[in-house]
Amino acid sequence: MRRVAATLLIVACLVAGRAHANAANYGGTLRLITTAGSGSFDPQINYTERYWEIFQAMYDGLVTFAKTSGPGSLVIVPDLATEVPKPTDDGKTYVFHLRRGIKFSNGEPVTVQAVAHSFRRLFKVNNPNAGTWYDVIVGGRTCNAHPHHCTLSGVVIDAASNTITIHLRHPDSEFLDQLAVPFGAILPADTPDHDMGTQPIPGTGAYMVKSYDPSGGIVMVRNPQFHQWSRLAQPKGYPNEIDYKFGLSAESQVTAVENDQYDWMFEDVPADRLNEIATKYTRQVHINPLNWFYYAPMNVNIAPFNNKDARLAVEYAVNRESMVKLFGGNALAKPDCQILPPEMPGYQAYCPYTEHPGATWSAPNWPLARAYMKKSGMIGQHVTVITEVQSPFRQIGIYLQDVLNRLGFVADVKPLSSNIEFNYIQNTNNKVQISVTDWAQDYPAASDFLNVLFSCGSFRKGSDNSINISGFCDPAIDTEMAHAETLSLLHPNQANAIWSHVDHQITRRALVVSLFSVAKLDFTAATLKHFTFSGEYMFLPQLAVVK
Amino acid sequence: MAGTIIRRLVHMIAVLFGISVLVFLIFFATPGANPAARIAGKNASPQTVARVERQFGLNRPLPVQYALMMKKIFITRNLTSYVNLGEKVVPQVFKAAPVTLSLVAGAAIIWIVVAIVIGAVAAAFRNSWIDRLLMVLSLIGISMPVFWVGTMANLFTQGIWHHTWLFSWVPPLGYVDFSKSPVLWFKSLLIPWITLAILYIGLYARVLRAALIETMQEDFIRTARAKGLSERQVLLRHALRCSLVSVVTLFGLDFGVLVGGGALLTEVVFGLQGVGYLTYQALETLDLPMIMATVIYASVFVVVSNAVVDILYAAFDPRMRLRR
Repeated sequence: MRRVAATLLIVACLVAGRAHANAANYGGTLRLITTAGSGSFDPQINYTERYWEIFQAMYDGLVTFAKTSGPGSLVIVPDLATEVPKPTDDGKTYVFHLRRGIKFSNGEPVTVQAVAHSFRRLFKVNNPNAGTWYDVIVGGRTCNAHPHHCTLSGVVIDAASNTITIHLRHPDSEFLDQLAVPFGAILPADTPDHDMGTQPIPGTGAYMVKSYDPSGGIVMVRNPQFHQWSRLAQPKGYPNEIDYKFGLSAESQVTAVENDQYDWMFEDVPADRLNEIATKYTRQVHINPLNWFYYAPMNVNIAPFNNKDARLAVEYAVNRESMVKLFGGNALAKPDCQILPPEMPGYQAYCPYTEHPGATWSAPNWPLARAYMKKSGMIGQHVTVITEVQSPFRQIGIYLQDVLNRLGFVADVKPLSSNIEFNYIQNTNNKVQISVTDWAQDYPAASDFLNVLFSCGSFRKGSDNSINISGFCDPAIDTEMAHAETLSLLHPNQANAIWSHVDHQITRRALVVSLFSVAKLDFTAATLKHFTFSGEYMFLPQLAVVK
Repeated sequence: MAGTIIRRLVHMIAVLFGISVLVFLIFFATPGANPAARIAGKNASPQTVARVERQFGLNRPLPVQYALMMKKIFITRNLTSYVNLGEKVVPQVFKAAPVTLSLVAGAAIIWIVVAIVIGAVAAAFRNSWIDRLLMVLSLIGISMPVFWVGTMANLFTQGIWHHTWLFSWVPPLGYVDFSKSPVLWFKSLLIPWITLAILYIGLYARVLRAALIETMQEDFIRTARAKGLSERQVLLRHALRCSLVSVVTLFGLDFGVLVGGGALLTEVVFGLQGVGYLTYQALETLDLPMIMATVIYASVFVVVSNAVVDILYAAFDPRMRLRR
């Protein structure tokens, strides 16, 4: 039902979008700027927002998220497949019909063999989610164990009918979402079975890479083989060229965009420049909601936060409004108590940790916080807050230190390099008590927050990859989440009700201090028109008009 | 001579070995720095992380990993980044070198010329208000951190005065290759040159003034005066030449350090993707291969510039030659 409603919205967006689709808008060079490159340029490896934002214009999967703005951008539409298939065999089988006449940028045709090769390649190149998402395909587990001998028997192709049949081990309501992200890109059948690193792989999208230098930047030009088969799946794009340059700090990026030296900056605008751009360049500022939240996980396996009362004391004491100010104010962030962000399916506003418990946070409840603190017997306990050096994490860490000290803990704060912190706080060997971090959706599904961050399977002792940072494990909640996932496929409303229940349960367990959910602020040059923001990929550079 | 060269080479190898081992050990002793976890990506399964470890040889003993890394830097030259997978670090460093060289060479010309003028004028007008004024200005130059000067320069040239006649000629931050446009190359580097030079102008002017004043007390200066040379000739042709020895020592070391990546802050502030910028990025992203390559590159420059300084000593000071 959600998808039908959203499809109607897409049509509305499409009609609105057509207003811009006149010939005068095509052409020109879009100039983008960021601080640095972002790892391998292989779409089946790279797991960064920075590159996903441009991969979506260069690569196609069998399905994709609609390239439009608003709620419609979270809807899955057919891309290289002719339609989004309905699962059969109790949700375990999907049959995709491949479009004919599409070619990769190197001139090779898109074939069912290329599709099968791309699925096998996910395992052979160590895709980050090969063992967490794609092993649901029959044969996936064997491929994970022996990638070089991967045959992936669950992917069956038929060249005559141009179909690909995918068999799953069990129904998976998020399988299509996982195919729609850039990991699901279909690549030429002769793409080597190793990480291609700095060497761009030919794709089917509207743009292809002309040059790529991980220390310098990317130049993207029109793919000569491309013809538009679906405006929603892969629009032709307005600029003739997209130049993405690396090398300026966020501060310098703001100045450069103000001076019209670049059209768009990737980094968040530093907090000390927000007032300047909001007052002087109001028309160039775009704010859009995002499924992204900031939180402070508390380690439930070591003192003092193995004591629920100590955790509750912190929950009641934290002033979320102060946190919002540290992030840039109410236009960019909303105080939060729960795990799911407001735009996520299954979200039902809930906040028990406030002066007046109910749907929203209003003010800290210090009397209750002090009462829980006293009850916990943890007064005088030493606590170290681990955070990142960069803003606003550092400031949030310092604020938490103050709150903890006021509660009666003896707190200090240890800011770490942004690149170390995320792995450091996951490893149980580092005995992290409380930390500050954030989490953003891969795709719009409640499980991407609840299951990933709080399931027993996501907790791995002694590993830098243990995303369940609180170290929480409750088999009963795991069972409930599994039930919700099963229901999601055919009964999304029932599933959402369960997700909501799980969200509230986890919130009540006080495993993390949920701080705020954020919106994305984009700052563009005065000359850039038709800024389009997708809820999945964020800024869609190909739909910007620079001519 | 051959003995000196061999001694220098052994010295260099020892320095490189010591530094590279240190960098390697610090990296692996840092908790949370495990490259396999970061390469594998967020929420990767343990099997995926284990496979990445095997693929990058990160499961092998540390001495073996160290030896392999050195082999890939010096022999096969195919060491690749842990962050931008597939990016060969040695060519990247060599590609960044001309940017740093352009920055440092231009700044060096400015600071040497200006520092000599200031130092000589201050020495010539010793203890006068001119001397005091110049020395106070030099001290201010030394005291201002280069990143602050750079940020202020950007604030005016790219920010509030960018659209005025004064700075409208300043191009966007970043490096423009000389072969692409010599004029743009010059324009894009002028502000960074001045920013980097300010510190060294102050430092060198003060050192030169002190050296000149000391030299002016020497016997050979008295002899020069007795011969009837003018005070200007004594200062410029006799005292200055001798006093430059101390400046050359400093210059050799500073130039080596800066070309090796020491101009890091200036490069970062002005978005110049030189060796310093590469080092900064590598440190930010904990990219051990790139850190290793840039550190070794810097060490080579420091050791080589030391050797060059020794040779230049002889050219400037005849007493050095006589000692041989």
